[in-house]
Amino acid sequence: MISVGARATAGRRRPARRRKPIQTGQFRTIISPLQLNSPWGRRIYWSVLVTVVVTFTLAFVFPLYWMITGAMKTGEEIAQMPPTLFPAAPTLDAYAEAWSLFDLGTLLGNTAYYSLGGWVFCMLVDVSAAYALSKLRPMFGNVILGAMLATLMIPAMVVLIPLYVTVVDLGLLNNPWGLWFPAAANGFNIFLLKRFFDSIPRELIEAAQIDGAGPTRVLWSVILPISRPILGVVSIFTIVTSFKDFTWPLLVMTDSDKMTLSVGLSQTAGMVSQNAIMGGLVVASIPTIIVFFVFQRHIMAGLTAGSIKG
Amino acid sequence: MAVLRRNLTAYGFLCAALFCFAVFAWYPMIREFILSFQETNLIDPPTWVGLDNFEYAVGYPGFTEAWIATLQFTFLALVCGFVVPFVVALVLNELRHARAYLRFVVYLPVMLPPIVAVLLFRWFFDPGPGLFNQILGFVNLPALAWLDSPATALISLVIVSTWMNMGSATLIYLAALQNIPPELYEAAELDGAGVFKRIRHVTIPQTRLILLLMLMLQIVATMQVFIEPYMLTGGGPAGSTVTVAYMMFQFAFTNQNYGVAGALGMMLMIVLLVFAAFQLRLTREDKA
Amino acid sequence: MKRSTGLLVASVLGLSATACGSGEPAEPTAGGAAKVSITVACQPAKSAPKERQAWDDDVAAFMKAHPNVTVKSTDQQPCFDPKTFGPKLAGGQMETVFVVPVTNYDDVIAQGQAMDITQLTSEIKNWNDLRQDVRDLVTKDGKAYGVPNVHYGVGLVYNRKLFTEAGLDPNTPPTTWAEVREAAKKIAALGPGYVGYGEYSGGNTGGWHFTQALYGRGGSILTEDNKKAAFNSPEGKAVLQTLHDMRWIDNSMGSKLLVDWESLMVAMGSGKTGMMLGAPDVVTDVVGKFKGNVADYGITGFPEAKASLSGGEAYMINPKATPEEAKAGMQWIDFRFNTVGKGRFDYARGKANGNPVGVPDNAVYGDSPTGQAIQADRVKNASLPVENYDPYVKASATIPPKAEPLHAQEIYAILDVAMSGVLSDKDADIDKLLADAETKVNAVLAAKG
Repeated sequence: MISVGARATAGRRRPARRRKPIQTGQFRTIISPLQLNSPWGRRIYWSVLVTVVVTFTLAFVFPLYWMITGAMKTGEEIAQMPPTLFPAAPTLDAYAEAWSLFDLGTLLGNTAYYSLGGWVFCMLVDVSAAYALSKLRPMFGNVILGAMLATLMIPAMVVLIPLYVTVVDLGLLNNPWGLWFPAAANGFNIFLLKRFFDSIPRELIEAAQIDGAGPTRVLWSVILPISRPILGVVSIFTIVTSFKDFTWPLLVMTDSDKMTLSVGLSQTAGMVSQNAIMGGLVVASIPTIIVFFVFQRHIMAGLTAGSIKG
Repeated sequence: MAVLRRNLTAYGFLCAALFCFAVFAWYPMIREFILSFQETNLIDPPTWVGLDNFEYAVGYPGFTEAWIATLQFTFLALVCGFVVPFVVALVLNELRHARAYLRFVVYLPVMLPPIVAVLLFRWFFDPGPGLFNQILGFVNLPALAWLDSPATALISLVIVSTWMNMGSATLIYLAALQNIPPELYEAAELDGAGVFKRIRHVTIPQTRLILLLMLMLQIVATMQVFIEPYMLTGGGPAGSTVTVAYMMFQFAFTNQNYGVAGALGMMLMIVLLVFAAFQLRLTREDKA
Repeated sequence: MKRSTGLLVASVLGLSATACGSGEPAEPTAGGAAKVSITVACQPAKSAPKERQAWDDDVAAFMKAHPNVTVKSTDQQPCFDPKTFGPKLAGGQMETVFVVPVTNYDDVIAQGQAMDITQLTSEIKNWNDLRQDVRDLVTKDGKAYGVPNVHYGVGLVYNRKLFTEAGLDPNTPPTTWAEVREAAKKIAALGPGYVGYGEYSGGNTGGWHFTQALYGRGGSILTEDNKKAAFNSPEGKAVLQTLHDMRWIDNSMGSKLLVDWESLMVAMGSGKTGMMLGAPDVVTDVVGKFKGNVADYGITGFPEAKASLSGGEAYMINPKATPEEAKAGMQWIDFRFNTVGKGRFDYARGKANGNPVGVPDNAVYGDSPTGQAIQADRVKNASLPVENYDPYVKASATIPPKAEPLHAQEIYAILDVAMSGVLSDKDADIDKLLADAETKVNAVLAAKG
């Protein structure tokens, strides 16, 4: 995927003249370069390109534009028919209103705490488990791995209720551990990490062992530094998933002081005016969009690794 | 001795994960099974009721409708969520410009919390000042009731669902398309195959495995649809968007009837496992 | 290395152990004077700082008067959430004192989720002034399970300003359904976005309002013996037919389905919806939470009403509470909710805080001496135009109250389908909708035994 990104950048170079052939890069696809650069091919190519860019912008960017500007309109303007394309008098009042009505400060704080705490715990548990399964190879290791992967076959909605009953029995309602424990039981993370650890050559570890390093030191000074890419991918997905999660926190974190952003928004949205709802949604979108901007490449690279999970 | 030591160390590293899995993954799977044969309100000690919960669920009004709605949703979501991303990926793969922008943009909704997408679309679907009817009005088409009519509510849910999920499928297909060896296309071209023949005889066979995999994953994912009906329609209008997962949630958390919810969950799981087994067979055949 | 792994495991296990422990009731302190600690639900949310302050002041005053009692408040919104009710109780998270709406009385009592407080009713000084028929709702087999806190009958809430704009007289609100239809048509004719009459159709509120309308017309949801559905009747048909005609022939109900409680309140608060079925608490909420203008809203009697669905809530005690905790809980209920001029009946403070005082939103005490004292106090401190609510008060005096059907929530979910069917489909077959709902309700009743 990363190399694809590089190709895309190469392809992005604009043709200096209209006559200049369309760059196909070093790879070919269904349409041959010859067809693409025939007079008709060019015409079709450019019209398809323009159509796709316009459609994508309308379909995926315009809704966000509508959300952001909706929050800048007054209550009357947002209900106006036909709507205005630009806010007549842009104001940030709705954002301020959303901030206080939804108690966004608390919600954001809670969500950040749960995501980051869950991430730390999840990484501790899953990395050590993957390390044990990959490098220390205990008895029944494969059985354990199989049982862990088997949990991926069980649909999430189905275990929702028994898991909930279990968490109730343990008294973990309104307790962050009610989110963290189940999140750490992630067979997919362990699978990804183990597969990566498996590819680390034995010699590296043996060299360290000869220097007198115990298992923890090997993990810390040999395995982890090499595994940065996979750790990055797993981290990002763990954090983003827990940030986006809705149904589970809806059940577990019911105190208004302890709710996550998603749950808080859903509970209060009915009581709040439309422009303030949009304000709340914008604020809720910002963290993940920032993550996406910064870690775009990792996320897209991880996606193909994550394709098995869907 | 060394073996014992190694095992002890290994289980030392494993035990936290074993604890998490045992209590929060394996035990709930067993609990699900037990729950479906019990009557419990979580307060009084549970009682064994045999197959009563299953009987109750099957005989419950709306049971059949919920399955039909779920299958309809799954079918529509596949038409949109499986076919559309593939076609989009095919087109994107042919483009030589704006690729980074297009990939970024199509994945953007996937990054948003689902609740944001759902609440945003709730506003778009508003029959009055909502964006969709305003656009229809702008191009002189009659307004639709969207979420507010049994005829269009389900498809409206599919639209939201597709919008917020199609990005990942598109990018996965795109990656698969880029792994197709160019020689195959060149050979097909030499054989005189046109564009559509090339797609049929090169592209689809080459991506068959990932297509099958994604198909099954999407079936499993869409059959569990919950947030959309929960947030957008509350199962209405006229019960047209009560899905199995939604019904299960209602049984458990509105009616406090955890046993019946468990029984419904078991049925859903069996159906999904049948799909999964089917998928495994297909992929095996494919490898052979 | 072993140490660090061991530590991790120890901390994991330790945490789960403490987490388990937190669910158990607090240990009684050793020593003679029995210290009691109770938790009470329904503290106003942070978004209502003045009311929250008033609550906190009451807690402080109560603790001063009862030095051995420590009161902790929770502010979950809404303070009764059917979704989390059972689990909270099972998980040991339930407050000592919690509120239950009238729709859930039967289920909560039948499932043993509330304590039998018959022996403790003496803690409520005005217990005997509480209306008998309201107390009956929380009584089962001669045992009392709750302290009725709010009670009201249904009326017709309307927007006086819109009436004036539409050329109607706000002082003579409709008294028949024919007049309601006419008024709704005129209000809807004010322009796009105006809705004459708002009605629910989802999230169990549709079934709830169907029941209100059905009772008003003299119908019943269930037969006398609670064994069969009884709403597939001329009355039930009339309810749906009227709604259908208003929606599709008169076009006076707008085009948006209202699927949860807030949606109609928002519409009402926005000042473009003319009328809805509702109790006086609707006015309080529309003004207090949904930015409605106080002077605009009036409430009148239910048109052509033969009976009125009882609404309201009661405070109940956690069945797992110790006798001392239960007693302290009852004292709190008495202090905050049942003392004239104190707690929630401190109308002078309410007025100073800008609360909508004056809405006749509570009839738990009826016409008893306590009730009269409260009413006098309320009128004295009224911040609202009390005359706007007179027609309702006069009318409700003559309409007999009628309780919710058994298994209300499940039946309401089924009736939602009929309501949304009529309001979302021009060609809805009313007979079929009612017959379907009847079959389903009968199936539920049969399964419940």
